[in-house]
Amino acid sequence: MRSRSALCCVLLFLLPGLLGSLARAQGQIRVLRATVEGDQVLVSFRLDGGIDRRLLERIDTGLPTQIVYELELARDRKRWYDQGLERNTLEITATYDAVARETNLHFRLGGELIESKTVRDRPALLDALRKIERVPVFRVQGLTPGVRYLVLARAILGSRMVLAIIPTDVRTDWAESNKFRPPATP
Amino acid sequence: MSLRDRLYQQGKNTRTLLFGLVGLLFIFTAIFYLLQRDREMPAYLVTNRVLLFVLWYVNVVLILAILFVLLRDLFKLFLERRHRILGSKLKTKLVATYVGLSLFPVLTLFVIATELLQGSIDRWFATPVRPVLEQGNAVAQALIDRVQGSCESAARRALADLGTVDLSREAERERLEDRLRAMLAENDLDFLAVYEGNDFVQGVVESRSGISDLPEPGSDLLGEAATEGRAVRTIEPPGGRGRLVLAAVSGGAAAAETEAGETGPAADPLASDVAEPKPRIVVAGSLLDPVLAERTERLIEAFQSYRQLEVQKEDLRASHLLIFLMVTLLILLASTWTGLYLARRVTVPILALAEGTRRISGGDLDHRVEVPADDELGVLVASFNGMTEELQRSNRALQTTNERLAEERALVAAVLENVAAGIVSIDGAGRIFTCNGAALQMLHQREDEVVGRTAAEAWSDPERSKLAALLASLPEPQTGRDRRSAREVQMVVGGDWKTFEVKVTPIRDAAGSRGRVLVLEDLTELIQAQQLAAWNEAARRVAHEIKNPLTPIRLGAERLLEKHRRGDPELGPAIEEAADIIVREVENLQGMVDEFSRYARMPRPRPAQLDLAKLIEETCHLYRDVKVGVPVVCVFGTEPLPAVWLDGEQIRRALINLIDNGVEATDPPGTVTVSVEVAEGHLEIHVADTGRGIPAESKDKLFLPYFSTKGRGTGMGLAIVHRIVTDHHGTLRVEDNRPTGSVFTIELPLG
Repeated sequence: MRSRSALCCVLLFLLPGLLGSLARAQGQIRVLRATVEGDQVLVSFRLDGGIDRRLLERIDTGLPTQIVYELELARDRKRWYDQGLERNTLEITATYDAVARETNLHFRLGGELIESKTVRDRPALLDALRKIERVPVFRVQGLTPGVRYLVLARAILGSRMVLAIIPTDVRTDWAESNKFRPPATP
Repeated sequence: MSLRDRLYQQGKNTRTLLFGLVGLLFIFTAIFYLLQRDREMPAYLVTNRVLLFVLWYVNVVLILAILFVLLRDLFKLFLERRHRILGSKLKTKLVATYVGLSLFPVLTLFVIATELLQGSIDRWFATPVRPVLEQGNAVAQALIDRVQGSCESAARRALADLGTVDLSREAERERLEDRLRAMLAENDLDFLAVYEGNDFVQGVVESRSGISDLPEPGSDLLGEAATEGRAVRTIEPPGGRGRLVLAAVSGGAAAAETEAGETGPAADPLASDVAEPKPRIVVAGSLLDPVLAERTERLIEAFQSYRQLEVQKEDLRASHLLIFLMVTLLILLASTWTGLYLARRVTVPILALAEGTRRISGGDLDHRVEVPADDELGVLVASFNGMTEELQRSNRALQTTNERLAEERALVAAVLENVAAGIVSIDGAGRIFTCNGAALQMLHQREDEVVGRTAAEAWSDPERSKLAALLASLPEPQTGRDRRSAREVQMVVGGDWKTFEVKVTPIRDAAGSRGRVLVLEDLTELIQAQQLAAWNEAARRVAHEIKNPLTPIRLGAERLLEKHRRGDPELGPAIEEAADIIVREVENLQGMVDEFSRYARMPRPRPAQLDLAKLIEETCHLYRDVKVGVPVVCVFGTEPLPAVWLDGEQIRRALINLIDNGVEATDPPGTVTVSVEVAEGHLEIHVADTGRGIPAESKDKLFLPYFSTKGRGTGMGLAIVHRIVTDHHGTLRVEDNRPTGSVFTIELPLG
C-alpha cells in the first residue's frame, strides 16, 4: 500500500517533465550573437530545424501562424545561475494568401509591429522565420558598465496536444549568446 | 464539534449550496451561450492556443477542486472511523452511495459522449469533401496559372518586339502607344505597359474592360521582375471589377546583370543611378471576369478553409473535449458537493439522535435532540423527544413506585422478622428465596445455610429432611380452598422434640407459578398444652367415670351397714343385692380401665399394600342390617382406587368407629354413606350420616378421650380414630352435612 502510494507520487512528480519532453521541439537556436550598438543591444541568431512539416502545413492553410522568440537579458555569473534582468519577445506571424500566392509576415517586438513583409516562395519564408538579424531587443540604459551580460533565447513553435487534451507549447532549449560588457556612458 | 456548531455549519452550508447552484447555473448558461456562438466563430478562434490553455487550466482547477472536496471528506471520514466516532460508518456509507451515484453515471456519460464526439469529428473529415475542394482549387489555380502564363507570354512577345526600339528617342516614344495598342489587341490583353526600372514609360488599357485608369503594378512587382526576370501578381483593377492578372518580364542590361547573380543594395536594379542602364520591363495584364474571379477565389478559399480545419482537427477535437470535460467536471463537482452536503445533512440529525440515544441509555433523561428539521427526520426527532419525555415520566413513576415498594418491602421484612411464624419463600426454580428469623430460629439454622439453596440442600440432615420430604410430597394446590396444604411434622431440632405445622401456599400470578411459601408454626407448646388439657379432661372424666360406679358401691355398703346395725332380718338378700351391684360396678370400672389401657397402648401403624375399596366394602357389609331404615352405602368413583400403604386393621377400626357413630346418630329413615375421593397427592374418606349432627360447641372436644355426646359409652371411639389417622400422617375433620347430619373426613397422603 505504501509502495503504491510512493509510486503514484513519483509518477505525479515526473508527469510535468514527461509532458515537457513530449512537447520539446527538435530545433535549436544557434549562432546567437549579442552586440551593443549605441544604446541598444542587437541580437542576431538562427533557428536550425524546428520548423517542421506540421508547422509549414499550417502556414500553407492560411492560418495565422506564430513563431515566438523569447529573449532574456541576463547578468552573467560564473559560479551561480545567471541573473535574469529583462525579458522581451519577438513574434513573427505568417499568414499565407492562397489567392495571391504570397505569405505576409509581421514582426512584433514586445507586442509592437516593427516590420511587415511579403514573401512568395518557401526559401524566403524559411529565411524570414529562421534568421533574425540585428534586432534591437534591449536597451543598454540601466546596465552596469563593465559587468558581463548575455542574452538567452528560445523559440516557441506553436502548441501541441499531449494525450489529446493537454495543450503544451513546443519550445526549443534556451540558447546563450556571447557575453558582452556595456560601454561606459560618456 | 458541538451540535450547535454543526447546525450553524449546516445553515452556512445551505447558503453555500444555494450560491453554488446559482453560480453553476450562470456558468452553464455562459457555456451554452458560447457553444451557440461557437458555430458562428471561425475555427482558428475555437482552436486558439490561449483558449485551449484556458480551458485546460479551468479543467485542472475543477479536477483539483473535486479531488480536494472528495479527499477532504474522505480524510475526515477516515479520521472519524479511526477514532470510532458515532455515526461515522453510516456517514461513510452515505458518502460512498452519493458519490458513487454521481460519479458512475456522469463518467459513463462522459466516456460515451466523448467517443461519439470523436467519431463525429472523424466522420466530418471522412466525407468526400476534400477531393472535390482539392479539384476545385486545382482548377482555380490552373485558370490563374493559365491567365498568368498567357500574360507572361504576351509580355515576353511585347518585350521582344520592343527590343530594338530606342525609347530614348522622342519619335519612338510617340509611336510606342500605337504599337502597344496593336499588341493589346493582338494578344487579347486588357493592360499593357512598359517601364524602365520603376519609371513608367507608356501604357494602355482596353477601353471595353471597364478599367478606368492605368493600374499600378507596384514597385515590388517591378523589382521582382527586374531581379528575377519575371513576376506575376493578381490585383484589383482601378475602377473595375474582377481581378487583374499581371505578368511582368524584364530585359536589357539590368536583367542581364541580375541573371549574373549580383545581390545586395549595390545590385538593386531599380535604384536610380544615372550611370546604370535601367532594365526594360513589360507588364501585361488580363482582366478576369468578375464572376469568374469571385468563383475562383471562393474555390481557393474553400479549399484553404477545409485544410485549416484539417490542420486544426486535433485542436478542434481537444477544444470540444475540453469544453465537454469542463461541463462534465462542473456537473461532477456540483453533484459530488451536493452529495456530500446531503450526506452531511442526513447524518447530522441521525448523529444527534444516536448521541441522544447514547446519552439517554447512559441515564441522562433530561437530554433532548435539537435539530430544526421539518421533514420526516423532524418527525423522527419529535417522536424521539416525546419518547424521552414519556420515558422520563415513566422513570419518575417507576422510581416513586420502587421507593414505595422498598418501603413496603422493608415493612413486610420487618413484619416477617417479627412474626412468630416461620416463613420460608421458595422461588419457581425450587430455591429458598427468603427465610425469616422465626423460621431460622425454629430450625436452628443460619441464613447462609438456607437462602439460595434448594430445600433438599438446606435441609439435608435426617431430621430436617422430613421437612424437605414433606415439601416434595405435598402436591401443589391449585384453586380455592386447596390453595393451602397443611401438615404436621415432628422432628428433633437442637436436641428437643418439636412439632411443626407446615402450611404450603403457592405464589401465583398471570404468568403462572412463581414458587411457594412455607409457613411453619411451632405447635410443640400448643400440643403440649392441648395434651395437658386433654389429660386434665381425661382425668376429670376418668374421675367422674370412676366416681359413678363408686356411688352405688358406697350406697350398697352403707345400706348393708345400716341393716346390719339394726339387725334387719333381710340382711342376707340385701348383701346379695349389694354384692351384685358392687361386682357389676367393679366390672364397669375394670372395662373402663381396660379401654383406657388399650388407647394408651395403641401400637404404631404397620403399613402394607392395601385394597382400600375392598376394606371399605367389607366394613360397610358389617352394618348392612344393623339398624332398619338406616342403610350403610358405599360410593366409589368410576376410576379404580390406587393401591395404598396403610395399616388395614387400624383403618378398619377407625371406619367401624365412624360408621357405628353414624348409624347410632341416625334415626330411620336415614342413610350413612361412605365415599372415597382421590385428589392430587392424597385420598379422602368421607363418612356422612343424616342424623342429628354435632353441636358447634362440641366439635372442638370431639376427638378428646372420654368425650361423648351420646351420654353413654366410653367416649374413646373418636379419640382412637383421631390417633390412628394422625399416626398415618393424615388429618381428621368434621363438618356439617347438608341438610342434616355430619361428615367425618379422613385425609390420608398417597405414597
